[in-house]
Formats: sequence, structure tokens, C-alpha cells
Amino acid sequence: MGSYVTTLCKEITSTLSQLPQASPLKTLFFGGGTPSLLPPQYLSRIVDTLDQHCGFQCDAEISMEMDPGTFDKQTLKQFLGLGVNRVSLGVQSFNEDFLKACGRSHGLQDVYEALDIITGLNVSNWSLDLISSLPHQTLEHWEECLREAIGLSPAHVSVYDLQIEEGTKFGVWYKPGHHPLPDEDKSASFYRLASSLLREAGYEHYEISNYAKPGFQCRHNMVYWKNQPYYGFGLGATSYFNGKRFSRPRKLKGYADFVELCINQSSDNFSANEEYLSFYSNTVESVEDRVCDTIMLSLRLASGLNLNELSKNFGHELRVHICKSFLPFINSGHAVAVDSKFKTVPPDTFSTALSEQSASKVLKDVIFIRLTDPDGFLLSNEIISSLFTDLPIK
Amino acid sequence: MDILARIQAASITAPCLAPQHHHKHLQQLCFPMSTGHHFSCFYMHQNHFPVAMPGHPCRIPSGSIRCQSGAVEAPEMQDVKFSKSMLSFDMGKDRLSKVPASQIRNFSIIAHIDHGKSTLADKLLQVTGTVSDREMKEQFLDNMDLERERGITIKLQAARMRYVAKDGEPYCLNLIDTPGHVDFSYEVSRSLAACEGALLVVDASQGVEAQTLANVYLALENNLEIIPVLNKIDLPGADPERVRNEIEEIVGLDCSEAIFCSAKEGIGIQEILESIVAKVPPPKDTSMNPLRALIFDSYYDPYRGVIVYFRVVDGSIKIHDKIQFMASGKEYEVDELGVLSPGQMQVNELFAGEVGYLAASIRSVADARVGDTITSSANKAGMALSGYQEAVPMVFCGLFPVDADQFGELREALEKLQLNDAALKYEPESSSAMGFGFRCGFLGLLHMEIVQERLEREYGLNLITTAPSVVYRVQCADNTVVECSNPCELPEPGKRVWIEEPFIEMITPKEYIGTLMELAQERRGEFKEMKYITESRASVIYILPLAEMVGDFFDQLKSRSKGYASMEYSLSGYRKSDLVRLDILINGEPMDPLAAIVHKDKAFAVGRALTQKLKELIPRQMFKIPIQAAIGTRVIASESISAMRKDVLAKCYGGDISRKKKLLKKQAEGKKRMKSVGRVEVPQDAFMAVLRLEKEVV
Repeated sequence: MGSYVTTLCKEITSTLSQLPQASPLKTLFFGGGTPSLLPPQYLSRIVDTLDQHCGFQCDAEISMEMDPGTFDKQTLKQFLGLGVNRVSLGVQSFNEDFLKACGRSHGLQDVYEALDIITGLNVSNWSLDLISSLPHQTLEHWEECLREAIGLSPAHVSVYDLQIEEGTKFGVWYKPGHHPLPDEDKSASFYRLASSLLREAGYEHYEISNYAKPGFQCRHNMVYWKNQPYYGFGLGATSYFNGKRFSRPRKLKGYADFVELCINQSSDNFSANEEYLSFYSNTVESVEDRVCDTIMLSLRLASGLNLNELSKNFGHELRVHICKSFLPFINSGHAVAVDSKFKTVPPDTFSTALSEQSASKVLKDVIFIRLTDPDGFLLSNEIISSLFTDLPIK
Repeated sequence: MDILARIQAASITAPCLAPQHHHKHLQQLCFPMSTGHHFSCFYMHQNHFPVAMPGHPCRIPSGSIRCQSGAVEAPEMQDVKFSKSMLSFDMGKDRLSKVPASQIRNFSIIAHIDHGKSTLADKLLQVTGTVSDREMKEQFLDNMDLERERGITIKLQAARMRYVAKDGEPYCLNLIDTPGHVDFSYEVSRSLAACEGALLVVDASQGVEAQTLANVYLALENNLEIIPVLNKIDLPGADPERVRNEIEEIVGLDCSEAIFCSAKEGIGIQEILESIVAKVPPPKDTSMNPLRALIFDSYYDPYRGVIVYFRVVDGSIKIHDKIQFMASGKEYEVDELGVLSPGQMQVNELFAGEVGYLAASIRSVADARVGDTITSSANKAGMALSGYQEAVPMVFCGLFPVDADQFGELREALEKLQLNDAALKYEPESSSAMGFGFRCGFLGLLHMEIVQERLEREYGLNLITTAPSVVYRVQCADNTVVECSNPCELPEPGKRVWIEEPFIEMITPKEYIGTLMELAQERRGEFKEMKYITESRASVIYILPLAEMVGDFFDQLKSRSKGYASMEYSLSGYRKSDLVRLDILINGEPMDPLAAIVHKDKAFAVGRALTQKLKELIPRQMFKIPIQAAIGTRVIASESISAMRKDVLAKCYGGDISRKKKLLKKQAEGKKRMKSVGRVEVPQDAFMAVLRLEKEVV
């Protein structure tokens, strides 16, 4: 653990020290694996390293993913002392059987103890993760689970579907859409239920799988969805800056080699530079990739695709083109056009504007196109892939 | 299964003959399925002998010494009932040297599939030293890959053998091979017309089969001397005496001198050779008459143009002669002349009675069609040889490239195949759902299958084929008759008075009567008659619409009889039927390639099967999709695909969007591959599956 943190800190140093001017961080997120198992002194080293090279904005959001059963009150207290101000708790379910079914090592007892610790330390910005579409799960089970979550009044709730990955034991046992997993219709009803119950309880459905009380959206994740740049450090971490996306090696050895190269590169070693470049072989994202990224990420958000930004970045023609591609979905109620006053543009008006030769004022007035909740969100893949198919670029 | 099934079909209505009356009967036989056709062979040169490779022709002056093998080395033939010395090859003369017509014997071998025709042909070539053991390749006469795989002969070939008979005289024996399938019965009849005799090979353990009958009638029609050969007498189950009686009873041939043989073991081979010399009449010596040569095969060679196989009937033909094809009217100069032994060996001149090949830079087999007569431009014959027929396609289907970009390649491939296959017809066709393709006409089902397979295999094309259709005749209200093979072109119901469709007659031996009747009954079959030849031999004749057979009839027949049933069919003419056009509509849009002409009584069942299949195969989309089968405006079957409920990827972890983007792009790619029918995206394989199903149920 110690040597990994050392390597990680080396990577941070070598990356950030190369930048002429690293601005203070607005958000920081510890996630992937189980960061709550990290001994606080190591967390301290990481935070110190970051602070040394770029510092933090005074209101920076610092989140940490924590799993029930992996931390005690003392640990969390130390984390909070080091600056952590948002906790994302991987509860998954409030049912002992389903916890087992989704392959978690924690039990229900662990869940309630973790919740006690969080509330006991007055953490106000905390999030709760739930998983739906578990084997044998019924709509009644799911409703119970949602109501239990709402009763605990977290600031933020993430709801995911169980994803069956090929090559895992789940992949061998279960086939998506087949018993005991819920079929497509049932799985859709789970999604609809979560959306309606959570919204009723005052949560804003701001992203396909995320709900937050006003003011408590996860600012870090918003960076991803708004396709804004971010650093990434550590095993398997991804980053997006200078227009380049990069995934770090997923194996410890590969990662250590990579960090070694980073250091050599920063000391201007030419041959190492070559190797470093081969690691960073990804070039600046193509226009097509950037258009695709913008569409697929922004449509995950309730606010939707910002057309003004789209034309600013990719030209007015693309704006008209995308609007045309959206037409069938707007007509079918899976998407809506929104004007500068945040008012919905009726489908007829939208359609008429499109059919006119020159892009009319109405079209210029359409600032956002967003997917509807829950109909549009539920079919987002279908809609996004159709938009991809229609793109004028190859 | 289907391949095997089709092999057994050969074309003839074979009303059971009483012995002794066959000649009388034969005059009444007609062969409506017999159509001019040629099947090609691109591979030919690969299988030839090193001594005579086309492209590296070995010019051998006539009369020079040429010997393949001085002795027969056949260690496996220890039981052979003749000695090596009896074969007495004359080293001083080769098989190219000119022989008087009186010493020429032209014959073919007719047999049911698997009764050992190819093995016997191989053995004859081997024993006469035409092919040495070293050169022997099994089933030498079946050259084409497809044929070899299917164990059938499509391609005809010839082999000139030299044999010194017991009387001490050298004879020139020409074996002309025949194809073995109904689709190619015209070729069979032309090959037989080039002969004076035929070996009738019957498996001594199996007996007479439907195809045996069909070919015997063709041979008798051509006035051939038939020599019965009972093959495979070495097999434990062989009962040559019973089979001999059977041939006498069913075919009406005198079998008192039938030869007992095992081609595999080399038993009876010499008797066969002697019998050919003794019984097959020599050709008439009409060398002095103007040239008339019968084309019995031709194929396209990319370097030399069409290679024509022919039998000189009258006169003689020399290299550099100016010749004319009497049916096509085309004139050419002979560039190359030779004999087949069985590789091509060049000679300078061929005379009446001889069999050979020529090349004359002929651009397409359509100019030199099977059955056409070659004559001399300088000294034209007064009349062409009889028996020439134009190819008339019987079965049609649409061929569309799966990848629209392959349309050009498909057109080129069809052009190339047609150079070699005058019976193949095609014209461009386009459809909203399938894009651009061709509507193609074939002689029959095997021909269709072979063309499809060659397009896919040799030209690397990925094709969708629509369900095969026959040619309907529509009597229209304005008193015109429209011939139509494409359901989409069927005149509107209001304009039709009636529709006629082609019918066939089927015949099968007693063992399979039950199976055949059961199947025929399900497919609008009409029992015609049952005939008992002997107590144990009977056959049944059924009348059935051809359309009922272009689907999976053979497959069904074979599977229901555990692979044994044999049947024959021939066209018996057109009849009125109560037919309708069945349209398939997806989301209200008609799917042209799925339209079918079906009998009114079957429309409901077919409609239901097709709509159900489409429901299974079309993925859910964002809206509900009705799928309907309709006759005109009347919907007779209907299904619907409910709207898609959920297609969302929940997690996008740690900003790692690459995997998610990959999935979405893959989904987008999948959409591009689908065919749009109105707003509905239909996967390619749904089309394929429905077209396959259509072949079964229509």
C-alpha cells in the first residue's frame, strides 16, 4: 500500500510540475476499488502532494467512495479532518438476500452501522448508491428499498442497474432479461418507480442515474458529463486534458513502469520520451469523437444538449442537422426542445421551423434539447446511437 | 440433405412400360424440362494431365508416337479375370492416330446416382492405359470442385481410348460422360445423341431406380444400343439375378447378355470393352458429306475463348477451317482442334464419327450452344442436326448483395458466369427494402443452387436470395396473357381473369409411394395413377404444381424416407389455379421481396407463419410495429412488436467514457446495417430467415 501511494504521488508530482501554472482544484474524487480502506496517513500524503502542486479552492468538493463494513468512526473522522466533505456510500440494497445476490461482502448490519457513523459525524453531503434489477427482485421489493433510502434523507442518491459482465460468475449464472433477472419491461418499471418516488421526495433527477436535493449535485461528476477537462491519477484512472483522453495501465506493474516513464519524460530524456509517447499514443480527439462525446454525455443530463455551445464548437450546420435528427424523438415525446426562457418549444413549432429553408428564428431560439424523464432517459442508448448513425461526419 | 435429395431427380415422366413396347412408347415421350444449357468448368486445366495442359499445349503431329503407359500396373486387380497381355497395347500406334470409322465406338454410361458410373469410367480409362495408375485421380471425369463435393456430375466430358480387341484390331473408343440431374437433361440428351451405344449401369444390390428409367428412355429415344451392366457384384448384398430380372421387367431390355461387373474390383471390365466393340454400331462413314458436327458441351476458357466439345456426324473438320454455328449463325476460324483423352491433345483434322474439341476465340457460350450444329462456311450443310432447343428458365429468384457496395461485383460475376452458362438469365431488379440486385432465371433448382453457390464461393459475394418462384401465366381482362415470375409484377386483381401455373408429374417406385403421397397431399398434389409392374414393383404418378416443389420438397421427401426416396418429375403443362398475391406489411409498408404468390387455401397459414417469424426477428423499436399479411387490402394475419421499454447504460464510471462510447458506436453501426422499411429498421438476418421460411411454407 505504501509503495503504491508513493508511486501515485510521484505521478501527481511529475504531471503537475510540468504544467506552467496549475490552478487550484475545484473537486477531488476518490473512487474505484474501496478507497475507504486507505489508511488515513496515506490519504494525507496524497492530499498534501496535490495541495503542494496546485492547491484547492476554498469550497472544493472532496468526495470519497466508502463501502459499509470497511471503516469505523475514527477513520471517517480522520478523513473528514483531511478535507473530505462528501461521502458516497455503496449501500446497494436494504435487503440481506439481495446484498448477497449482488455479490457484496457487507451485510445489512454493516449498512446501518455505516449510516450511524456518517450521521453521528454530521456529514450533511452524503450520497447513497442503490442497485436495481437484481435476481428475483420484484417491484414491491424495489419500492421498499427506495422508501427506506428516502427515509434516511441522503443529500444525493445514485441508482444503477445490475450490470452482468461477461466472464464473471454472474455472466455464467444469469442472462440479462431472462429469469431470475427481470425482463426489459420489469426493469423499465423499476426505473420509472425510482424516478417518480425520488422526485416526489424532493430529489432532482439531474442525470440518468443520479438524483440530488437542490444544491447537492455531485460537482465532480458534472465535469465528466459536461465534457470538461480533468486530471486522473492512479491505477486504471482516466484523464482528459489538452484535448486528450488517456487511460492508465490497469495492472500494478504496468502502472509503475508508466510512472517511471513520466518521471524520465519530465527530465527531458529523449529515448524515454519516445516510450512515453507510445503510452500516450492517443492523439487529440477527432472532431467526430468530440461531437459524439458531447452528444452522449450531455444527453445524460436533465439539462440536455446545449445547442449554442454545439454551434460554437462545431458550426451552425451541425446544429441544424442534429435538430433534424432529433425531430422523430421530439415528435414521439422522448425528447423536448427548450428555448432561452427555459420554456418547452412545442413539437409542431419545432418541426415547422426545421422544414423551412433557412434556419428560422424559432430554431435559433431552441437552446437546449433534452431527453424526457423517464421515457427519453429509458431509451437513451437507442436515441444516442440513432443520432450517431445520422451524423454527417464519417 | 437437400443436396443429396436433388441428385436423385432426373427429368422424365416415366410411365411404366410393358416390355417389348418401349420403342413405340418412346416416340410419345416429350421432354419439356429439357432445355438448352451448358454448365461450365473453370477448373478444368487444373485436373488435366501434364502431357496436355491447356496453356502449355503439347503439339503432337498426327501420327507421331505417343504412349501413356505400356503396361497396366494394377496390383489391386489380382482377381481380374483378364491378363495383362490380353490388353496388348500396341506401342507403335497411339490413340490419336486416325482409325477408320468402322473401328470407332462412341458410347456413354447411364446410371442412377451412386450406382458406380464414375468408378467404372475411371476403370475403363485405367485399363485401356488412357490414364496411368500414377495419373489416376479418383472419379476423373468429375472435374468441378462443386461436383466432386456433391458427388454428382454436372459437367460432361469425353475420353478417347485406344483398345486392341480380341480380334487383334485396334479400336478407338469414345466415352462421352453425361450429367446426372433433371436440370441438365437436355445436355444428357445431346451427349447421348453423339453416341451409338450406352452402358446401362445398375447397382446389383439396389436395382432399378427412377433415374435409371429416365436415362434409359433418353438413350432409347436416341436409338442407342444399350448394354446392361450389373455393377457392385462384389458387395455382400448384391443380387445380380434379381436385378437382371428387374431390368427386363421394368425397362423391357433383353438382359440375357448382361455383364456382371465390379468396377471397384476390376471384375468384368474386359467383357465390357469387348461388348462395346461387338455390340455398339460403328458410326457411318460420311466423311465425304459437308461438315455437320453436334455440340454436346462447351465451356469458357479465359485464355482461348469458348472450348467446344463436339461429335463429327458428317464430313471432316480441319484446323484453320472457317466454321459456322448453324443456330446462332456465328462464324469463326478454328484456332485449335483436338481430342480428349481425357486431357486435350491437339490434332490437325477430325473425321465423321470422331469426337473432339475446338477453340476459335469464341467470346461466349451463347454463340456455340449445346445442341447446335457446326458446319463449314465454305461448304455449308443443307440442314442442321435435329434436337436443338433454346434454354427456357423454369425457376426464378431475386439475388441481392447483402452489402450494397457489392452490386457491381455481382453484375460482373453474373456476366462471367453467363459466358459459360447460356441458360442463366438475369435482369436488374431493385426494391426499397433490398436495394439493387438481379432477378435471375434458372433451368431448375439444382441449377439455381449451383449458381448461387458459385457466386458466393468463387466470387466472394454475400447474397440474399428471395424465395424461388415459377413462371405464372395471367389471363388479363383485356384478353392479353402476361407471363410473370415476380410476385410484385403480378397484375392487379381487378385486371386478372385467372392465373395459370406450371404443373409437373412425379413418379416414384413402390417403396416410397406412402411418403410421396403424404407429402404430395399436403402440397396440392393430385393422384393420377398407380401402376403395378410386378407384384413387388409398382409406381405412383402424381400431378403437382411446380411451385410446390421449388421449396423444400426434396428435403422433406428425403427426411421422411430416411434419405432413400427417389422420384422423378417432368413438366406436364399449365393449369388454372386459385392463386393470390400475399403481401407482407411492416408498419403498414409492403415488403416487396417478401411478397409471394400462393394458393388461396394456403394463404392464411403462410401469412401467419411469416408474420410470426418477423415478430420474433425484428427487434423492438421505439414505437409499436404492426406486422401484417394481406391479400389486397384484406389483412389475413397480424402480429405486433411492442415498443422498446428500456435501453440505457446506467453507469459511466470515473469519467471513463471510452467503453460506453464504443458500445453506442457499435449500436449505431448495427443500425447502419439494417434495412429501413419506412421507419422500421429490419436486420438483414430477419430477411434471410423469413426468406428461408418462405421457401419452406409457400
